[in-house]
Amino acid sequence: MKKKYFSRILLVMCACMLAYAFLLPLLFMVFTSFKGLSEAMTSSTLFPKEWTLDNYRQLFASTSTAPIFQWLLNTAIVTVAGTALRITTSVLAAYALARLPVPGKGFIVASLVWAMAIPEIVTFFPLFYIFKQIGMLNSLLPLILPSGSGVMCIYLIYNFLLSFPRELEEAGLVEGANVFQVLLHIVLPSVKPVVITQAFITFLGLYNSYLWPSLVVNRQENRTVTLGIAALVLGENYTNPGVMMASTLVSVVPVMAIFVVANKYVVKGFTQSGIK
Amino acid sequence: MRKRKGTAAAFVFPFLLFFVLFWLIPLIYGIWMSVSKYSLITGYSGFVGLANYIKILFSDSMYHKSFFLGLKNTVIFVVLTTPILTFGSLALALLLDRLPERLKGIFRTIYFASYSVSVTAVAAVFVWLMKGNGGYFNNMLINLGILDSPIPWLEQQPFVWAALTIATVWWTIGYNMMLFVNALNEIDMNLYEASAIDGAGFFVQLRYIIMPNIKNIFYFVLMTTIIASFNVYGQPRLMTKGGPGETTKPLIMMITSTIMDRNDLGVGSAMTLLMGIVIVLCSIGQYYLTKEKENLV
Repeated sequence: MKKKYFSRILLVMCACMLAYAFLLPLLFMVFTSFKGLSEAMTSSTLFPKEWTLDNYRQLFASTSTAPIFQWLLNTAIVTVAGTALRITTSVLAAYALARLPVPGKGFIVASLVWAMAIPEIVTFFPLFYIFKQIGMLNSLLPLILPSGSGVMCIYLIYNFLLSFPRELEEAGLVEGANVFQVLLHIVLPSVKPVVITQAFITFLGLYNSYLWPSLVVNRQENRTVTLGIAALVLGENYTNPGVMMASTLVSVVPVMAIFVVANKYVVKGFTQSGIK
Repeated sequence: MRKRKGTAAAFVFPFLLFFVLFWLIPLIYGIWMSVSKYSLITGYSGFVGLANYIKILFSDSMYHKSFFLGLKNTVIFVVLTTPILTFGSLALALLLDRLPERLKGIFRTIYFASYSVSVTAVAAVFVWLMKGNGGYFNNMLINLGILDSPIPWLEQQPFVWAALTIATVWWTIGYNMMLFVNALNEIDMNLYEASAIDGAGFFVQLRYIIMPNIKNIFYFVLMTTIIASFNVYGQPRLMTKGGPGETTKPLIMMITSTIMDRNDLGVGSAMTLLMGIVIVLCSIGQYYLTKEKENLV
């Protein structure tokens, strides 16, 4: 018994050390953002010897080089619009494919499966060129519109509905409800878990995506916050780690807060999206 | 019935519209570009058949060199990261599984939290954390007595690969861990208890209870990790700009510079499709690995 107790403690210590390793980059980010320039450059200790808010003042004042609130606003627009678009088109299509007599149903479902196997990168450059040719690169639309084609999302909701009893919906139809009422009051509540996780995964993907936005956004004021930080890493503000970390912190806080709260849902969704 | 058919079509229509416009057309357009002479500036100027592919695969051109250098670098990255991201994440999940119930949640959240940040945030932090001269990581290692002098993590090989691997592992290992955590939760507790009565230790349980039960998830994690690492772009782009030299330029970076800097959409598309084929082969591999398992049961 004593031996078991001992190994327990060993495991917990091990977990704590790993936790420190995982938290270190985040702590470094937080504490460096409160350091003065010279201290941030040498970073001999993790904690600031002298705490300062200068980095944040500089960040919020430098609206021409790093308009971080504009970037956050763009991110909010892109993530909300993109997620709403994907969920709406997916729920409608998945419901129809699972329950209604859609013409060419077998063909559509088969193409979904094929589309899932083909990596996204294959469509990026032609799509970028199309957006360039029709002159849309100056707007946020190229960041939002492709979300409407959520192949994986539809497939998962469709699969969920197939394994879900349809008696309730049929009862609803017999009672005289129309398809929309059934969709809204019966189907939607039952697919809620899948929809929430898919919405979250879509949101996270849109918030954090880098390659696609770096192709289609060519104006400072259209950048998402992820793209904005990339510009800072590659560009001028590179020379002041304090400001750099302050802006990174501001970019990370919204998504991480939501993530930590929602992570149970996310996890369920990840598993569902993997094996089924 | 007729009316329902109409409703059904109307429900599927919005998705199909987006699917065709933003997936199918770009896919076909990309294939078309890959067999054409296509410039980003001047557009289409003639059908060339498989010339772009031959240029990439067999000629002595710079495209050939960049493609195979990019492929080599990408494969190095896959080989470095995949073992840690699969076995390491399994180890983390097993560790979590053995912690006291009350502590599980908090440690799980800590290990998983870094997955929520963007690659640009990862790069921003690690570029400064692992800076050669005066970076905190070097200072810490020197203070602990592990190092005598600072290591140029982002300037010199092989340290640059180590830095990219560390950043990537830190960023994404939590995701794989979560998949394993879920898989471990589904193992029947009675199996553990029964085997413990028979005197089975941890490694016996791992071999005969845990591995067989999580085999499918394991293959899934393995293949998705290979595919994700194959798609690497942001970390080297932002942390090393592909350097030193071109030693950390992955395939996607070669493709973006072919298209955005050399304006060659034709060759770039052909490169992308070749890369896509490799990835599809990985997916097919995963399909057969998991399929085989089902047949055995």
